[in-house]
Amino acid sequence: MMPGIWQAAILVIAALILAAMIRLFAGPTAPDRVVALDTVNTLTIASMILLGVIYRQLIFVDVAIVYALLSFVGTLYIAKYIGGEL
Amino acid sequence: MIWLLNIALLILLVATAIAAVFSRDLLAAVIILSVYSFIMAILYTQLNAPDVGLTEAAVGAGATTLLFIIAIRRTSRREEE
Repeated sequence: MMPGIWQAAILVIAALILAAMIRLFAGPTAPDRVVALDTVNTLTIASMILLGVIYRQLIFVDVAIVYALLSFVGTLYIAKYIGGEL
Repeated sequence: MIWLLNIALLILLVATAIAAVFSRDLLAAVIILSVYSFIMAILYTQLNAPDVGLTEAAVGAGATTLLFIIAIRRTSRREEE
């Protein structure tokens, strides 16, 4: 396999995080910012798995699993607060 | 090529920290601080410290956001002049 393709992929993901962060800073309402947060969340999990491929370590996948579980809880609580249930 | 990722993530980290400080809406500040925690976890993982990244994931994404949301609910959302 070409070794450079995974690093190029993770640079593309960093550029996508930058694009989502423009909406995060400029978003006029709170739901815009929550959607941008969830996008950055998914891109973070993808980049952690790509880092696990680059460094050839299996524990990075475990970090990605824990992160996916816990950031879902955070997004859920922000959504409940915006909806007025909390 | 991985140092390019490091530089891009560090610039984004400083930008999120400054935006969280200068935000008047406290809910927006909490959301931006959560993104700060995401980028910090990528950096920890990239520096070959996955255990620190795991703790950052548990504390930053789960506990801190939840506690800040509960604190905003008990007080007020807008910062006073």
